[in-house]
Amino acid sequence: MTSVTAEQGGQPPTAAQRAVISVRGVEKYFPIKEGTLQRVVGNVRAVDGVSFEVRPGETMGLVGESGCGKTTLGRCISGLAPPTGGKIYFRLPDEDAATLDLIDPIPESDRTVQQRKQVERIDANHRVDVMSGKAWRTYRRNCQIVFQDSFSSLNPRQLVKDLVGRPLQVHKEASGQELTERVVSLLESVGLGRQHLYRYPHQFSGGQRQRISIARALALDPEFIVLDEPTSALDVSVQAQILNLLHELQKDRGLTYLFISHDLGVVRLMSDRIAVMYLGKVAEYGTAQELFEDPRHPYTEALLAANPDIRAEVSVMKGLKGAVPNPANPPEGCRFHTRCPVATPACGWEVDDAVAWLQARELLAAGLADVQRRSKFDATLVFHDEESASAVVRAIHDGDMPPAMKAALETVSTDGSSLVIRFFPVEPVELEDVDDGHLTACLLHTERRHQTWPPQTSADSSSRTAANPSSTSTRNSSTR
Amino acid sequence: MAARGAVVTRSHVDIDTTRDRATQPLVASVRDLKVYFQAKAGVVHAVDGVSFDIRDGETLGLVGETGCGKSVTARSFIRLVPSPPGIYAGGEIDFWSTEARKGGRGPIDLLQIPHEEMLEIRGDRIAMIFQDPGKALNPALSIRSQVAEVFYQHRSEDILEPLGGEDAPRLIRRAARQQSNSVERFLLKLPPWRAKTEKLKERVNVLVADALKETQIPNPRAIMDNYPHELSGGMKQRVLIAQALACNPDLLIADEPTTALDVTIQARILELIAELQQRLETSVLYISHDLSLVKEICDRVAVMYAGRIVETGTTEEVFSDPKHPYTRGLMAAVPSALHKRGELAAIEGTVPELVDPPAACRFNTRCPFAVEICRTTDPGLVMVGAEHTVACFAYDTSDGSVVLPTLTRWVS
Repeated sequence: MTSVTAEQGGQPPTAAQRAVISVRGVEKYFPIKEGTLQRVVGNVRAVDGVSFEVRPGETMGLVGESGCGKTTLGRCISGLAPPTGGKIYFRLPDEDAATLDLIDPIPESDRTVQQRKQVERIDANHRVDVMSGKAWRTYRRNCQIVFQDSFSSLNPRQLVKDLVGRPLQVHKEASGQELTERVVSLLESVGLGRQHLYRYPHQFSGGQRQRISIARALALDPEFIVLDEPTSALDVSVQAQILNLLHELQKDRGLTYLFISHDLGVVRLMSDRIAVMYLGKVAEYGTAQELFEDPRHPYTEALLAANPDIRAEVSVMKGLKGAVPNPANPPEGCRFHTRCPVATPACGWEVDDAVAWLQARELLAAGLADVQRRSKFDATLVFHDEESASAVVRAIHDGDMPPAMKAALETVSTDGSSLVIRFFPVEPVELEDVDDGHLTACLLHTERRHQTWPPQTSADSSSRTAANPSSTSTRNSSTR
Repeated sequence: MAARGAVVTRSHVDIDTTRDRATQPLVASVRDLKVYFQAKAGVVHAVDGVSFDIRDGETLGLVGETGCGKSVTARSFIRLVPSPPGIYAGGEIDFWSTEARKGGRGPIDLLQIPHEEMLEIRGDRIAMIFQDPGKALNPALSIRSQVAEVFYQHRSEDILEPLGGEDAPRLIRRAARQQSNSVERFLLKLPPWRAKTEKLKERVNVLVADALKETQIPNPRAIMDNYPHELSGGMKQRVLIAQALACNPDLLIADEPTTALDVTIQARILELIAELQQRLETSVLYISHDLSLVKEICDRVAVMYAGRIVETGTTEEVFSDPKHPYTRGLMAAVPSALHKRGELAAIEGTVPELVDPPAACRFNTRCPFAVEICRTTDPGLVMVGAEHTVACFAYDTSDGSVVLPTLTRWVS
């Protein structure tokens, strides 16, 4: 393996003293543009503050439903899409990581000159999107990607020799006869051979094409490979072949993998540690064993429950209601609360949830004319007539509304045909350590589960208590 | 961890397993079906002598890898295989509709009936759910008009009901069958007819909304005016299921209905299909490459390999005691907690070319137990259990000369 970029004056850290990839609060927003002037009206938050580390020789699994941002994160890490926020470091020594841990929380303006210089030095050597030319070349050689769809990731007009030999040409590693020989040995290492050199991608089966992609990724003898759903387009028997091949290559070449997949069985088999992603955030993080045997997030549990198991005695297959919310407008609090079977009142209920609940009911939704939002938690629902408004209040109190959502309501008050609803505002749910490196972003598994509900009244309690009697009075009037 | 228990232990739809399906009458019977494709290199034997039965009310799973001919088999039921290049080279698919059975009539051969009769059956008696809901729905038409089409095509008498049934004016009757010409369409907009047209449309709306409601789509009236791209994948698949089950078919063909969906949505869709199947007493031909799914939802299984059926039996039989080396290989290749990394039991090699295949076991090139006879003779299906059949010489005891290889590997 090539040595790490030497830093001025110091010894390069050994493989054990550094992470291969260090992801620190990475965000990737895609702007939503509108109008003739293409004004930015919002952002799709594909990846929204993700942090983890991949150590040398290990496999990090990234799992989640489609649209959760796992592929986008993989593209950010492999340098194909610059992140819009946060930092990605390559081969960050532990020493520098500790320095960054100290400096990062300090606002930019409050840092000393020395601290700024330190950050600059680390960034130039290791930070993927700002690193120096030399470091960038090392990074590009050592970070490769294998894509999901081998139909679209292999140029149909190029011969296998050119496809696999291209990285060697670009980095001026080999040419002429030597290039051909290098390509042959690469093909042999993935189970193909000399007879395949002068063929086009369409002449191969899906499994063979994926082998070609892997050979291409291996061409420059990288340290780290992003595997973006490498087997999801393959049959089980071929998938098993490819997974075995990937493991063998990892063992022989000391590779580090980021394994992205939606298939829990595959991820469990291949990964040492796993991050479960939901809507751009990590919901749970831990070793493969911890995650599968002792899941600490309802989303992980739901994924496990929905996964059919061929070896299970009794079937427990259980789906999850609802769809993944819009990542341009992610739910407050815990992002999973809209679909969570065990959601509590503290999980972040908001106006959008109430509106969605209303719209799923044909009779109630018919009367809704307008929603005037004052904040995520506070809005006035305007109805066509008084009757529809009071029907909604009845529905709320008769238990038609999910109990957790109802308990999260601070105020429900009618004023003619309009209905004011206000939820208790909550803080976002962040990842917390629950069991020595096992992180989860679920209130039920952290200290916050002991909090009292409703939350302690704060400074503006007077206005809230004033609002409460009115809600009680409407309840009485509407249920009579 | 009370919280966790709530997720896992909630029981899913109870499926009635007490009914003895073996004695149920047949809905369809495929006999020696052969579907070939004319290619430059020769004739591709995509389906080569496939036989199986589907009994009333059961779910039959057809499993196999890409290119084994399972989709072609399914599409042959409603003659959706394009011809040319497809050739229906032989065999028959007998189909008993409920009416035929009640009337004591015999089956009809779906491969022989005239085109007009097929149009009557397709979508009415036999319906199909396709793999990719994104492609199966027309992006240019609203959900309403796509679901309504089924009613216009097969249920015009339902549409006409509030308008006086068959006594309705001819203009209206033609409109309810979507047979109006341009002059009639103009007339229908004029005052004497306009009210009736409105009534007709409202009736169609009611039918469409009811069909959508069946598949647990919340607020179907709002969904009706949407276009496919406005819906999520799971929602689109629900629309397709609503479309397929609108006419209460005798046989539902589900061609990998959940492959394009996430696991959490997949589980919901499968629950829905199981529930509707039980309520409507529809038989289902479920096609999938995913063994674990088939195990969850099917009563009986047929495993296909390279255009042939290699093993059939009840789900219980096939999954607890797989006989054919291919079935064993497939099951062992599914990753699980028991496997060590790098030690997945893969089936080496690839599916053979199906151009003019020789008389031999199709699996002999990849089978670790293959002996001489496997390369020269075609194995037939032999009985190995009450309903369990397998096409492998290892179980063929009719010929004493066959060396029985010990099939010990790949027993998961």
